[in-house]
Amino acid sequence: MAIKKRRTIMDIFDDYFEDFEREFERRREMLLERPSWNQKNSTIEPLRNMIVTPTEVIVTVDLPLTEEKAVQVKPLDENTLEISAKMKRKMTFREMGMTHQEGEFQKFHFHSRVPVPVQMDEMKIRFKKGILELHLPRRRGRRKPKT
Amino acid sequence: MSEINIVEKKEIPQGATMLFGFPDVGLVGVIAASHLIEELNLAEVAYMDSTLLPPLIVLHDGLPHSTIRIFGNHNILLTVSETPVVADAIYPVIDALINWGKGKKVKMMVSLSGMPIQDRQDAKELKVFAAASSPEMLKMVQDKGIEALMEGYMVGPQAIMLMRCAQMGLPATTLLAQCFLNYPDPEAAAEVLKSLAKVTGIKVDIAKLLEKGEEIRLKARDVMKRTQEEMSKMKKTQEYDIPMYVS
Repeated sequence: MAIKKRRTIMDIFDDYFEDFEREFERRREMLLERPSWNQKNSTIEPLRNMIVTPTEVIVTVDLPLTEEKAVQVKPLDENTLEISAKMKRKMTFREMGMTHQEGEFQKFHFHSRVPVPVQMDEMKIRFKKGILELHLPRRRGRRKPKT
Repeated sequence: MSEINIVEKKEIPQGATMLFGFPDVGLVGVIAASHLIEELNLAEVAYMDSTLLPPLIVLHDGLPHSTIRIFGNHNILLTVSETPVVADAIYPVIDALINWGKGKKVKMMVSLSGMPIQDRQDAKELKVFAAASSPEMLKMVQDKGIEALMEGYMVGPQAIMLMRCAQMGLPATTLLAQCFLNYPDPEAAAEVLKSLAKVTGIKVDIAKLLEKGEEIRLKARDVMKRTQEEMSKMKKTQEYDIPMYVS
């Protein structure tokens, strides 16, 4: 018979704050509506998705027209990732169906904040069919106090 | 004034097959519909005008168009929406389209859509499932070699289309190709078009669709993002739920 560990009041608080942070992040993203491209930097934001499970955070990113060797994943701090990927060829706004914009882009780029504590140094990366998949194990124990 | 008008621009054939491609999981329906329009050179024959739709138009060649349009030829009427239909408008929009199609004595209604699967990038082949408005229609699609979706939940325009057709006794089916939930999936669109050919005889070459797959994924990003937001509002992930039948 499996023995279920009793949850402490701190565990309940942690879960509550993690839920709150996830919801806050979702609403922040919604409020910050902006174009999915940056003309100045010639970059475009890819579609991505994040799933938080009890043991890990899974981030997937759709990176069409890219190859695995062109993908860069860089942890900026304990809960922020920077992902960039050079595309196989340049795309102009005209090719994308936007005739009123001048310019082109050849790179995907975005920052993503992970809403729960994770072990960045244990991250596993996979790239298949143009989809980047990151597995970040969740950090056990108390979260670090913010300074 | 009625809340929804379908404005006809050309003479509409009677007895055509009516197809639906709405933004949904993997944008399967929209990608498949766009490919059909291009390959069969379908012309815009009608469009939807409604105060229930967001204040949004699509500009093509500098001219305004409705986001929900009907393309066709002598035997096809293809309804396509270029933006996701907001959850509150799904019932009236679908009701209006079905009533219009019924008035044109369409012989069958087929919606093209997707069914999200986990580990999609590991799938070697993508299956297509079908649900139908009647046992006879279900048998017909099964006889064409398409597996029936026997139990489960469906959420979105194709779900309401099927239910309304069942209530009205209209022959209809929904073809659902396994696909990504949140990413545009041209491969799944190609699979659904293969099944459409089996069910209706409407055949198109899918080589170009697969060849341009990566570009389509890139171009469809923003529509997919908007669609994700609408899918989230209508609890699309219920399709993953294990059903509990009362009887």
